[in-house]
Amino acid sequence: MKHIDAAAHTRGESQYVDDSPQPLGLLHVAVLGSPLAHGKILSIEIEDALQCDGVITIVLAGDIPGENQIGAIIPDEHLLAEKEVFYVGEPVAIVVAENFAQALQAKNKIQVQIEELSAVTDPRAAFANGQIIGTPRTFVFGDVENAWKQCDLIVEGRCDMGGQEHVYLETQRARAVPLENGAMRLYASTQSPYAVQRTVAGILGLPHHKIEVDVKRLGGGFGGKEDQATAWSCLAALAAWKTGKPVELVLPRHEDMVMTGKRHPYSSDFKIGLSAQGKILAYDVKHYQNSGAAADLSTAVLERTLFHSTNAYFIPNTRIFGACCRTNLPPNTAFRGFGGPQGMFVMESAIAKAAEQLNIQREEIQRRNLLCENDIFPYGQHAHEARAEKTWAEAENSFALPGLKERVAQFNQNNFEKKKGYAVMPICFGISFTTHFLNQAGALVHVYTDGSVSVSTGGVEMGQGFSTNITRIAAKAFGINQVRVKVESANTTRVANMSPSAASATTDLNGNATINAVTEIVDRLKSLAVSELGLGQKEKLSLKKERLFYAGKDTGWDWKKLVQTAYLNRVDLSAHGFYATPGICFDKQKEKGHPFAYHVYGTALLEVTVDCLRGTYNIDSTKIVHDLGRPLNELIDRGQVEGALAQGLGWMTLEELIFDKRGHFLSNSLATYKVPDVFFMPDDLEINFLQTAPGASGPYGAKAVGEPPFMYGIGLFFAIRHAMRAFNPKADLPFNSPLTPEKVLLQLHPQWGIDAENRRR
Amino acid sequence: MSNSQDKKKPGGKSSAMSRRNFIKGLGVTSVGVVATPGVEFLSTLRQNPPLAQGKLLGPDAVTITLEINGKKLQTSVEPRMTLADVLRDQLHLTGTKIGCDRGACGACTIIMAGKTVSSCMTLALDAIGQSIETIEGLSPAEKLHEIQESFIEHDGLQCGFCTSGMIMSCKNLLDSNPNPSLQQVKVATSGNLCRCGTYPKVFDAVLAAGRDGH
Ligand code: FES
Ligand code: FES
Repeated sequence: MKHIDAAAHTRGESQYVDDSPQPLGLLHVAVLGSPLAHGKILSIEIEDALQCDGVITIVLAGDIPGENQIGAIIPDEHLLAEKEVFYVGEPVAIVVAENFAQALQAKNKIQVQIEELSAVTDPRAAFANGQIIGTPRTFVFGDVENAWKQCDLIVEGRCDMGGQEHVYLETQRARAVPLENGAMRLYASTQSPYAVQRTVAGILGLPHHKIEVDVKRLGGGFGGKEDQATAWSCLAALAAWKTGKPVELVLPRHEDMVMTGKRHPYSSDFKIGLSAQGKILAYDVKHYQNSGAAADLSTAVLERTLFHSTNAYFIPNTRIFGACCRTNLPPNTAFRGFGGPQGMFVMESAIAKAAEQLNIQREEIQRRNLLCENDIFPYGQHAHEARAEKTWAEAENSFALPGLKERVAQFNQNNFEKKKGYAVMPICFGISFTTHFLNQAGALVHVYTDGSVSVSTGGVEMGQGFSTNITRIAAKAFGINQVRVKVESANTTRVANMSPSAASATTDLNGNATINAVTEIVDRLKSLAVSELGLGQKEKLSLKKERLFYAGKDTGWDWKKLVQTAYLNRVDLSAHGFYATPGICFDKQKEKGHPFAYHVYGTALLEVTVDCLRGTYNIDSTKIVHDLGRPLNELIDRGQVEGALAQGLGWMTLEELIFDKRGHFLSNSLATYKVPDVFFMPDDLEINFLQTAPGASGPYGAKAVGEPPFMYGIGLFFAIRHAMRAFNPKADLPFNSPLTPEKVLLQLHPQWGIDAENRRR
Repeated sequence: MSNSQDKKKPGGKSSAMSRRNFIKGLGVTSVGVVATPGVEFLSTLRQNPPLAQGKLLGPDAVTITLEINGKKLQTSVEPRMTLADVLRDQLHLTGTKIGCDRGACGACTIIMAGKTVSSCMTLALDAIGQSIETIEGLSPAEKLHEIQESFIEHDGLQCGFCTSGMIMSCKNLLDSNPNPSLQQVKVATSGNLCRCGTYPKVFDAVLAAGRDGH
C-alpha cells in the first residue's frame, strides 16, 4: 500500500499548521531569546518595542496567569525566564504583532540587561560541580570487580560523542485560536498532543478540557517535537489568551536551531576485559550525559542509554553508570534512538580498542559475543527470539563479508593516499516506552451509514507512515476496502491522555487499540447478523472483502447492507478501543525487570573510501539485514530504514554542533551545520528484511522500525577509522564523534593543523 | 506575514522605512549603490526610488502582477517581500514550503523562466515579468504529472515537507533532459535537503519517470 498522503504531498496540497486558511485577524509572534548562557536578569525594557508599527502586545513571564512551568518529567523549566537565564536562546519575551516582520523589528528594540554568570558547557565539569539532574543510575550484572581477574586483556578508554540537531524540515510552529468560555484550540506541530494540552492548561491556569489540541501532520519530528514542541504552543496560547485573537508562532530556522534542544552529547569512560578466546568477560562504563539547562526528557534518555549499553552482545559481568549533567546549553531532548546510540557507540569503541590492541579485526570480537537465545541483558530481561546471530550470519553470507575484506585489503595494498575501511554493525534495540505508564493507547472508531469509516487515535503522522499503517490495520480488522477508511488528525477531544508518538511504538500501541475498537464493532455487527439472518453461531461469521460469510459461505450480505441494517436496528456503530502493552515491568530500585515487549535486531556491513590527504570520504556501500517481524508495509518500512540510516550516518560524520565556551551555538544555520544530502548517501544501498522471525506483539506481528536502523550508522565511524588505521597505523585516533573530514585530516596529519580545540575559543 | 501593508495601529508611528527594509527592497539591480547608505542618500532615494523593470516601485507596498502557472495574478507587496512569502501569504499558494528562508534547504524551490530558484532568496519584485511555475501548476486538472505519479509509485516522500521543492527540481530536470543519468539526478536535486532521508527513493522515482514518461 502506498503512503496515504502521497498524492496530496506531491501536489503540495497537504496542510501543515500554517497552510490552512488563516483565521481573521491572525496575529504573529517573534520570540526574544537570552543572549547569554547564564545570567541574572536585571531589567527588561519594552517601551520602545511597544511603540513599533503593528505591535499589539509584548508578553513577559509576569503575564502568565497560571504556572510558569513546562518541565515534563521534572518541573525545572520556565516557559519565559523570570529572574535568571540558563542558556542562550532561552525565551525571555514574545512580541505579538500584526505581521511577523513587525514583530521581528520590535523584538530587536527590547532591551534586556543581564548580569553574566559563569556558564558550564562540559558535562564532566558539571558533574564535578554536583550539577546533576535526577539521581545517577547504575545497572549491575554479575560481578565486574571479580571478573577482571579472569581477563587476559583489559582495555580502558574514553569516548566523546557530539549531539545532533533535528533539522525537521518544518520548524517548530503552532496556531492558537481562542474559543468561547475561555477555551482554546491549538493546531500544533507536536509529537505529543497531550503534553501540549496539559502544559498549556497549566500555563493558563485552566482545566485540561478547556484546551483542545489538534495535530494533522508534522513536517518531520524525529524526537525534536516530543517535548520541545510544547513551549511554542504555550507561547502561542499565551499570546492568544492575552490578546483574545488567534495567534500563530512559526520559529525561523535560525531561532529553531539556537533555541531548541538536541540529541545529547555524551562523554563516557569504558573498561573492557576479554578472555584469550575473545569472549568479553567484563564491561564497566560511565556515561556523563550533557543534559543542557533543564531536565526535559534527559532522565528517560539516560535510562535508555543504560539499557542499550551492551548493544547486541552478552556480557556476563557489567556495571553501567550514568548521570544527567546540567549545563548551560538548550535542554537536550529526544532524538531517534533516544540515548540508545550513545550507549552502543561506547560499546563499539571498547571493542575497537580491544581489537586494535590484539591486532585483530573488530568483528572477531563482535561475532564471538553476540546475544543468544535466553541470554540475560544487564537489566534482567532474557533475550527471547534473539536474532543477533541470525542477522549477522545472513549479512555475512548474502553480502559476502569475506570478499569484502579481501577487496579492502587488496585496495589498501595498491593505493597510497586513498584507503578503504569496512565495519560490521550489529544492533539490538528494545521496543516499548521505558516509562511504564506510557505504554497505553486509545482509538475511537466510527462507522457511518454509507459504510465509510473514521479512525482517531493518539498517534501523530510525522512522515513515518503512521496514518497509512492505521488505514491498513483498520481495513484488515474490518475486512473492508482501504478506501473506506479515513484516519483523522490526532485530537485531544477524541482521544484523551495520549502518549507521545515516540519510542518507535506508535503503530504498535495505536494499531492494537484500533484493532480492539474495530473488534468491538464487528462483534456487535455479527450479533445483529445472526439474529437477522436466523443463523446459529456468531463465531462462524466472518467479513472478508466486504462480504459477510457464514461458515465460509456467502450470506448474500455485503458491508453496506450490514452497516445499514445495524443502524436501523439501533446498533452502536462507534467504539473506543484501548491497549496497554502486556507483560512489561521494571523495578527501578533493583534496576531489573522486563521493560521491553520485544527487541529488534539487525546487522549492517559498511564500506568506505577515505581520501587520506584531504580527509574526505565516500560511503561505497551499506548493506543491511534487518529484522521486521511480519512487515505491515515493506515499502514504508524500507523508507524508515533508509531515513534512519541517513540520520545515523550523519550523526557520526557530518553533523557537528559547535558551541563556544560561553555556550553560544556557532554552527547555527544549515550553511554551517551539515546534514546528509543526495551525494552523501551510500553509492550502493541494499536492505534485506529478515522475515522468518515469528510475530512480535505489534499489530499482526509487525515489529517497530522507526528508530533501530539509526544505529547502523555507528558502523560508519569504525569503517572510517579502519581506513585511517590502514593509512597511518600509529595515528592517535580518539573516539570522538562526529568524525568530520576536518577531524580525519587533523588526526592523520596532526602536524598540519592548528589544535582543533583552539578554534572553539 | 499577511496583509501587512497599510495596517497601522491607531496612534502608531508612520511607517518610516528602515535601512534593513530599504536594502532588501532595492533588489539585485541596485546592490552596488547600497554600499554607502548615508542618511542623506536615503532621503534622496526615498524621493527618487529605484527603477525595477522600468517602473517606479516602492518604498511602500505596491501592486504588482506575477505570472504564475500560466495565470496573471495581481497582488500588493512590500519591496522587502520574498517570492516565497508572497506565494504563501498573499496568493495562498501554500504548496511551496519554507524550510530555512536562507537558500540552504531547497524546500521553496520553484521554476522561474525555466530555471529552478529558491523562492526564499528571490524578491517578489524581481519576479515581475518572469514566468513562474509552482507545485500547484504541475497538475491543474485531476491528472498528475508523471513525476508526481512516479514519486507516489516509488514512495519518494515521508513527511512531505521537502516534497514540493524536490519535485520542482526533478520536473525541471526532466523538462530539459527526459532521460537523465543517476549522476544528473543527483546534481539536479543537490540543493534539496530531505531530512527524512528519501533520497534513494527520489532517485528511483526520477529515473523511472525518465524511462516511462518520455
Ligand atoms: S526555504 Fe528557501 S532554500 Fe530553504
Ligand atoms: S520527506 Fe520529510 S524532509 Fe523530505
